[in-house]
Amino acid sequence: MSEPSHKAATMQTHTTQRGTSAARTRIAKLSKYVLLTLSVLLAVIPVYWMVTISFKSEVDQFAVPPRWFKFSPALTHYADAFVTRSFGQYLLTSVIVAGLSTICAVMLGTLAAYGLARFKLRGKLDQRLSMWILSTRMFPPIVSAVPLFLMMRDLRLLNTLTSLVIVYTALNLPFVVWMMRGFFRELPRELEEAAMVDGDSRLGALVRVILPLVTPGLAATAVFCLIVSWNEFLLALVLTQTDAAMTLPVGIAGRVTQYEIKWGVMSAAGVVAMIPILVFAMAVQRYLVRGLSLGAVKG
Amino acid sequence: MARHISNGLKSVDRLKKNGSGGRELSLPYLLIAPTIAVLLALSIYPLIYSVKISLQTGSGQAARWTLANFARLANDKFFLEALVHTFIYAAVALTFEFLLGLGLAVLLDKPLRGRSLFRSALLIPMMLPPVVVGVVWRLMLNPDFGAVNGTLKGVGVNTEALTWTATPTLAFASVIAVDIWQWTPFMFLELLAGLQAIPQEPYEAAVIDGSSGWQTFRHVTLPLLKPAILIALLLRTMDLLRVFDQIFILTQGGPGFSTETVSLYIYRTAFRFSDFGYAAAMSFVLLLLTNLVSVGYIRMLQRQETA
Repeated sequence: MSEPSHKAATMQTHTTQRGTSAARTRIAKLSKYVLLTLSVLLAVIPVYWMVTISFKSEVDQFAVPPRWFKFSPALTHYADAFVTRSFGQYLLTSVIVAGLSTICAVMLGTLAAYGLARFKLRGKLDQRLSMWILSTRMFPPIVSAVPLFLMMRDLRLLNTLTSLVIVYTALNLPFVVWMMRGFFRELPRELEEAAMVDGDSRLGALVRVILPLVTPGLAATAVFCLIVSWNEFLLALVLTQTDAAMTLPVGIAGRVTQYEIKWGVMSAAGVVAMIPILVFAMAVQRYLVRGLSLGAVKG
Repeated sequence: MARHISNGLKSVDRLKKNGSGGRELSLPYLLIAPTIAVLLALSIYPLIYSVKISLQTGSGQAARWTLANFARLANDKFFLEALVHTFIYAAVALTFEFLLGLGLAVLLDKPLRGRSLFRSALLIPMMLPPVVVGVVWRLMLNPDFGAVNGTLKGVGVNTEALTWTATPTLAFASVIAVDIWQWTPFMFLELLAGLQAIPQEPYEAAVIDGSSGWQTFRHVTLPLLKPAILIALLLRTMDLLRVFDQIFILTQGGPGFSTETVSLYIYRTAFRFSDFGYAAAMSFVLLLLTNLVSVGYIRMLQRQETA
């Protein structure tokens, strides 16, 4: 079909359809809402189901048809999990490991990011190092899990929080470097140069002038590290097997794969593992796209 | 070149003024060194360690250098099966996640009342710890009291055959479905960001040309969205090839071997059978596969950086 006749044809259909177009857009809009609502329900209902199980007595849990709303909620499973069983301990371990590894990764990574963002090194070394750092992030965890297990065994660090903190620091470092490098690059060089002309040292300018400006990005980066460390499973599974050292995901997994499963306890632990993450995720919504693509895409 | 020199001169001037000669020049290296050291110790050294044990049989004094572990790969039909599972899993999940994610992104691209609420709610599955996703779906899919079968029974469906994670084919379909549930939001988010970054002008031009909605999408939106699509696909593929967590919770690779992926098989070989050398050898195959994908990703980034 030649271009002009094609255009004429569409113009014609436009005029004949003008009368019904209002109705059509309304239907389109309505179906949009229906589709979106269905998708949201699909996304949320399974999670809601777990939450109800965590509050249900055994009778309500095993009822057929499922009781979505009508049940008498109780906190017994939470008490069972976190007071009677060791989930309180796992929770504490998760908090400590995620917190410490995030602090280490953010401190080291931010300094490196500043170095890579602001200095042109000989032979494009700054760019090459950046890419190399990024590439270490691409290793599948199982590839590192085997040698890390053996190394930590040799160092007698299996079943210690230290091993997890060290490993998670390394896990998050490339991410911190890339995120922060992006944030630093968005600031004009003149900022430090002005401060340095005024007699500040380079590091003084970094601390007094630049860091305050990247604080939102720094906070978002730290929250992402917390999420990654908190959610991490495979390495924790390999490196920790004792009650005193395992993280919440490993503790949960241990119970799920047993023969007799306490569904209420599991769900209660699952809810507790999920809540901080949802809060964190809401806090960094603005940076999600950027964070999920390692700082590559500016969302 | 000239700019380099003038930059150099400027910084030399400044150094003279500050009187901190070598410090400024070595500063970047000092800043970067700790990070490099940590990564060398915990990413590169383990890799070398892995190469070593993959080339040995026995351990300690009795260790012998050999290629046996790699030779074994070729004849291990379990490994081959795990590879096939991983590829099918990745291909099917990626296709669905992409199409559904794109659809949702298009639905939420234009301003709409409640848009940010929809967006946040749709992202929930992706944010959950994978282990929790496993728990959620163990509960949903439990044949006796799970919400899925319970609901089906309620509307009169015979659920006897729907044992989800207990029969091979259904179990494989189930773990893929769970992946799609969890990671479609990721595609949706990346593609939505991509859509929002497209400027208005091409659309206006398309409207003036009288092109229909589908034509505009096909010839204007998709080409402009291509970089975002590629990045999302590459990132997702890398994650799919290494899938472990949810399957470990949902089926542990079973029933039989039906949902065993490469990561699970390596895990089992190393930590159930203590065959670390062979596990390391297998992990290099996985590393190679992911590398092919990640090289693509890094190429794209480099192009962006230079652009």
